[in-house]
Amino acid sequence: MAVPVSQAFTVMSYVLKQKLKGRKRYPLVMMLEPLFRCNLACAGCGKIQYPAHILKAELTPEQCWAAAEECDTPMVSIPGGEPLLHPQMPEIVAGLVARKKYVYMCTNALLLKEKLHLFKPSKYLSFSVHVDGEREHHDFGVCREGGYDIAMGGIRAAVDAGFRVTTNTTLFDGADPNSVRRHFDQLMEAGVESMMVSPGYTYDKAPDQQHFLGKAKSRRMFRAILSNRKKSWEFNTHPLFSEFLMGKQNFECTPWGMPTYSIFGWQKPCYLLQDGYADTFQELMEATEWENYGAKSGNPRCANCMVHSGHEASAVDYNFSSLKGFIQTAKRYMFKPTYEDADAMKLLNEWPAQTHGPLVQIANGNTTNVVVKTSIQETSTVSGD
Amino acid sequence: MATDQQEHLKIEQLQHQSQDDIEVIAGRERENLEGWIPSLASESEVREVLEKAFDYRGDVTITRKDGTVVEGYLYDRRTGTTLETSVVRIMPTPAKGTTTTAIQRVMIPYSEIAALNFSGRDTAAGRTFEAWVKKYWEKKAAGETNIQIEPEKLD
Repeated sequence: MAVPVSQAFTVMSYVLKQKLKGRKRYPLVMMLEPLFRCNLACAGCGKIQYPAHILKAELTPEQCWAAAEECDTPMVSIPGGEPLLHPQMPEIVAGLVARKKYVYMCTNALLLKEKLHLFKPSKYLSFSVHVDGEREHHDFGVCREGGYDIAMGGIRAAVDAGFRVTTNTTLFDGADPNSVRRHFDQLMEAGVESMMVSPGYTYDKAPDQQHFLGKAKSRRMFRAILSNRKKSWEFNTHPLFSEFLMGKQNFECTPWGMPTYSIFGWQKPCYLLQDGYADTFQELMEATEWENYGAKSGNPRCANCMVHSGHEASAVDYNFSSLKGFIQTAKRYMFKPTYEDADAMKLLNEWPAQTHGPLVQIANGNTTNVVVKTSIQETSTVSGD
Repeated sequence: MATDQQEHLKIEQLQHQSQDDIEVIAGRERENLEGWIPSLASESEVREVLEKAFDYRGDVTITRKDGTVVEGYLYDRRTGTTLETSVVRIMPTPAKGTTTTAIQRVMIPYSEIAALNFSGRDTAAGRTFEAWVKKYWEKKAAGETNIQIEPEKLD
């Protein structure tokens, strides 16, 4: 089981309660962004591009707790910015835990080791460490040599201290499925509870608009990565979302599934698109023209999105909307399929090695074919989720 | 909401291809707005400019019709049927030396805006992955280690 039984039970009860109440639109995970400031400056990140006074602004613990109560989801994810830069983050997390929220505190882990003692291990708290691949991939993506080693050091320290630790990996065009699979092995060996993997997406504010995957490429890549999977791999995404990434399910976006609250208020409509802000959660739900979002709407900004913030909630909703969905999901949890697929294995074995050459050698200006192990496109930290 | 001009590459691509078959989605066109003082002569110009200002990642300076000036980050706009019922919402740039961290908000109806200047630095400009790759290989070739992009100092 990729999450504690108590968490699975809490989420199940919550969703069933929403269904019994007849709510058509209900949130599943609240995304809380207490600040946009970060101690990395990833070239692909659009979340940190604000004037200095906006980057200095932060939510108070009281504002964070009030938003969590207003939205009332069983799970709260804290992306950013880098949450560990918020001086009151331990207090914010403790307050959410006291409210029995299952908290995923997303971090690049640069400060995790030194701040670990400020937190208390709990079944309600998981550090979700963003690691975008093997060493060279991650370092290149976060634009900082040595970043991978610090992040893995943080993971090990948190695991040793008895914390729940999960990971989050975002993939972009040019990702190498073989490397991603090795990366999964390394993470599981480090003792993480479970992993999340998701495609990046050309959201409006991302500075790098050229290296995102379209849907066809995403499905092929995820089929190569997630088919023939090892029994040892644990994922904390819904199994049907994983099948959606592999092209085995088709889900429309549920843009209200993971609402985001930040210093600007409730973000309309979702974590990645900014069409304005609502001052209350109720206003967000009532004033947003939801029919204008999702691939089906024809909105070009939603056309190639397959990210978890919009689609995992759809998988969960499908899970509880029909007997078929419920049985399908129960089977996935009980029998943990490895998705044996000879064609996917062939795809994996024949996946072209990424060379990203020819690179111009700076010293003499000549063009030389240089093989580098990393993929320059795959690892930009963009979604922040 | 981004304007059609900002989205035209994607719109064009989607008109000719199925979104399910696209390998790599088109990017969006970036506009160089920093320092721009647009004309606000007609209602359509006002609406278009404020849409761009909402999309802009730097501070803007708005001069009201009564002559007062507000500089800050335009984080939201709400469009109504008339300019009187449409508003922008701004977080003003704190005065130098201000220590308070309390977040201020100012709301200005479109109809009260006399002029707008994209006065602040565009914090999104020039931050491409290509620029990082180029810089990385230059530093690598020069024998540097611990290569990284440092976050900008905020003070």
